[in-house]
Amino acid sequence: MRPPSQMTQIVGSILVALVIAAVAVAVVTAHFGPTSTAKLEAREDAIDARVDAREERAKAREDRREEAEKRREDSGSG
Amino acid sequence: MDRPVEGLIDDLTRGNVTEVKVVLASVVLALAVYQLVLAAVSYGRVRPRFFESGPATWAHRAVGDTLLVLAVAVAIACITFYGFEEGGAHAVFGCLVLGALAAKVLAVRVGGSSSPLLPWVGIALFALLTATWLTSAGDFLGVS
Repeated sequence: MRPPSQMTQIVGSILVALVIAAVAVAVVTAHFGPTSTAKLEAREDAIDARVDAREERAKAREDRREEAEKRREDSGSG
Repeated sequence: MDRPVEGLIDDLTRGNVTEVKVVLASVVLALAVYQLVLAAVSYGRVRPRFFESGPATWAHRAVGDTLLVLAVAVAIACITFYGFEEGGAHAVFGCLVLGALAAKVLAVRVGGSSSPLLPWVGIALFALLTATWLTSAGDFLGVS
């Protein structure tokens, strides 16, 4: 049996890639699908909490740095 | 806004950054498995009658280019939205994936497609992609 033409093989392989991508999207999205609103809200809250915690840490770091700089300046001038 | 990229990503995903990231990362992993198959056909390790080495190489490159764009998009979303601080192993694997991607592109540009390094860099890239997915999307989906 002769193999299909090269163009057919290329088009076929790209179509297979598209099907794989579509199946991956469908499977993962289905995994999210049945989750309840409460669960989604809890997840969003957890994400928000992580973002807030990160911002707080960044702010604390900034404050510490400013304080250290201030101390350095004070000791330098004194 | 202080962080325009973070805001843009939040808008594009309608506030579902994690979910979109998980979906895209899963597509990347699924296509990476397909890439292994295409590479095996391309190198002649697997010889199906209906699929020759030349078209497999072409498809491997086309899918690889798409994967590169997707992986960089996921990385940008990950770094701008979550940063490195809470990443742990995921952040390390993610950085190594980007390094391996760069090494693979470099190996193709410098050594050509017949570079003996290429299969090893490809296998390392696949392993790192899997590890990165398991420590984030897999964790989120309850796989790992």
